[in-house]
Amino acid sequence: MELWREERHAVRKKIALFILLGWLLLVIGDRVDELRVYQGAQIAMYTIALSSIVLLTGYSGQVSLGNGAMMAVGGYAAALTLNNLGSPVWFAFLMAIFFSALFGALLGTAAARLSGPYLAGTTLALAVGLPAIANQFSFLGGEPGIFFDVGLPAQSLGEEFTQYKWFFWIATFIALLSLFITSNILASRFGRTWRAIRSNPLAAELSGIHSSRMKILAFTISSALAGLAGAVLAMTISLVAPGAYTLTLSFALVTGAVLAGVSSLPGVVLGALILVAIPEIADVLANRLGGGENVSNYLPGLIVSILLILSVIFTPNGPGENLRKHRHKKASSH
Amino acid sequence: MVQGRTCESIVTKKPHRIDYCEVTGRLTAGNTTLDGRKTMIGKTRRKGTWLAATVLAAGSLFATALPAHAEPGVSAREIKLGITLPLTGAASPGYNKIGNAMNAYFKYVNENGGVYGRKITLIQKNDEYSPQLAIAKTNELILKDKVFALVGPLGTATYTAVHKSVGLAKRGVPSLFLNTGFSGFSDKKSYPTSFMVLSSYAMEAKIVAQFLKDNHAGKKLGLVYQNDEFGIDAITAFKAAGTKFDVTVPYTSGSQSAATAQTWVSQLAAGGAQVVVFFGVTSATAPLLAVAAGARYAPQWILGSVGSDPLTLRALGVPVAVLNGAQTPAGNPSPNDTSDEYVKQFQEINTKYNDAPFDDYVLQGMNIGLMTVQALRAAGSNPTRKKLISAMESKGSSFASVAYSPLGYSKTSNVGHTGYYMAVMDANGDRKPFGGTVKLYTTDSGSGPVVLSTFKRPAMPAKGLPSNS
Repeated sequence: MELWREERHAVRKKIALFILLGWLLLVIGDRVDELRVYQGAQIAMYTIALSSIVLLTGYSGQVSLGNGAMMAVGGYAAALTLNNLGSPVWFAFLMAIFFSALFGALLGTAAARLSGPYLAGTTLALAVGLPAIANQFSFLGGEPGIFFDVGLPAQSLGEEFTQYKWFFWIATFIALLSLFITSNILASRFGRTWRAIRSNPLAAELSGIHSSRMKILAFTISSALAGLAGAVLAMTISLVAPGAYTLTLSFALVTGAVLAGVSSLPGVVLGALILVAIPEIADVLANRLGGGENVSNYLPGLIVSILLILSVIFTPNGPGENLRKHRHKKASSH
Repeated sequence: MVQGRTCESIVTKKPHRIDYCEVTGRLTAGNTTLDGRKTMIGKTRRKGTWLAATVLAAGSLFATALPAHAEPGVSAREIKLGITLPLTGAASPGYNKIGNAMNAYFKYVNENGGVYGRKITLIQKNDEYSPQLAIAKTNELILKDKVFALVGPLGTATYTAVHKSVGLAKRGVPSLFLNTGFSGFSDKKSYPTSFMVLSSYAMEAKIVAQFLKDNHAGKKLGLVYQNDEFGIDAITAFKAAGTKFDVTVPYTSGSQSAATAQTWVSQLAAGGAQVVVFFGVTSATAPLLAVAAGARYAPQWILGSVGSDPLTLRALGVPVAVLNGAQTPAGNPSPNDTSDEYVKQFQEINTKYNDAPFDDYVLQGMNIGLMTVQALRAAGSNPTRKKLISAMESKGSSFASVAYSPLGYSKTSNVGHTGYYMAVMDANGDRKPFGGTVKLYTTDSGSGPVVLSTFKRPAMPAKGLPSNS
């Protein structure tokens, strides 16, 4: 009985924490310039995208390099819904979740038979090929893409309330909501089952867990999250185009997840922050090096690659995981 | 060695959940270890630390000063301008020279006193001709670099995306001398802060349609076009002019290559096209002409103005022999025509400040530089974005420009140049007026007629340095 009460209390605390965090972010969003507000929306988008990797790789143990492609599915689904059905924006986001989940379920069915490098290779092929498909169908808009216009903020919010602040509000709300839901899923029976499958698939099967079914479920939920992130990305640039969902994006997401600690959900915000900060750092470095635009264009990719290599060598599960182990050891020595 | 999370529930059924921690080796029920220690506190603290670290990190990124209320990009000594264009990538050949040419002209002006004592700084951003990158880079220019205005942003699809996504009109950001001829940008209501410079693709198509009627009547016609607003603008005008093509070959922007050009040439040859009109970028013209030459398919080429620079085509491997006799609508004089006062002055500036081969793109870049300086001067000694737009509307039509046709700027129009003359390439790849003299035709992007014009362009300002106000 006491445990039940404790858990209810923990959930209430979590809700309060998320509301407080949301309020804090909105206050910050009100006090900073537009560039930071825009970057804030990007951080929110990356947060959702990284949480999809944490769920898939960190918990269910399936390595996917194709999250950029899943984001593309969500982005295109949202834009086509909004443009062709004239639906409300929230419905477009729902459709992004639905279609990417559907796509994820189909892919997950195939993925459940694969593992390790084979799975990584399949999803990599998807990341390379899927966005390019847009060039083959005119209703997908080709290279220039199609617009995804969520509309202007309500006039009652005032003249000073810019389009980017509107994006920031929407993106932050979606990110907090999906983080809350994801953290609850991960703390539930499903989360524990996925961890069991990841740690020892054979033992999990022997304990009565249907590992294929659970892997497909993980793929479906992860794809839904990635698709939602794709729609949020489309919103921030008002556009869905193959150029927005490149292989570079998929790799950046993997790097962000590794840096955040691939099994750490709170760490995804830090990972998202790093991904948004990298171009800024590259810009400063490029200015110092004097290489101009050409250097600053390629430097982010170089930084991402170096961080990924360093992280794999020194902190295979991410710095967050190392910190946690260090604290555990400290605690046990006392 | 333990990987990943180290605490696992070994009994999951509520309310008897028991966790096992591999690192500490403890069994835990709720927040109490079986040896009596409380662990939930540590767990909560861990989460709290993560949250605090994240908020702190976010705070540090967000910790910037509130925006200043001064006019963005203008200080006592400097005016900051920005441009997005493809510096690398498939569409970059030729176009990647425009920014440096503008910069060279600005350096020349800066060394000669600048604009009312302010030096012009041009920030170039590489968008690789990708709409998504163009949006990101324009955001950087406006929000981070805080440029006063955009000058010469290049590309139809890229600018359409940028205008919508970044909200240039709503922000009141002037966007001068767009390097695209898409007639949709001449809609002053939708693009109140944007100003075209090139004659539109619709105007170009109408003038080419007239030329086909006058000079190639009865021949089988082919058309290769970029399948976006760029080519569709031209197709609409051709249809309105009553031009019927026997073979039409659309291509998707970014797909141009020697392999795709093979299919274009096969279709054109199979359709028996004797005259082929091309509306696309230079990086598509090059494989088209090279593959056609390889296949010994030699129709009469009519190359659209933005994809016909001989120097760039030759650099991309197109044999001069293929260019010989190719016809093209042109707005500017040939970059080799040193008898032209604009070309002569720009060549001198290019030699001193740019040191790049002088071609159509360098000429275009220098000319945009010249027009930009006139616009800034017309905005007065204390320029604001509003004053700049107002100056473009009231004085823009009288600006000196290398192109032969009149400028259409007014309070109700953001149309740039309004006409073309037909030219033909010679054996050296040089461009000469068709028929020996420049016959300038002017028209509009709508249903107006194509008219032979007697317009005389304004003279080049002394030493290429505008003194207007």
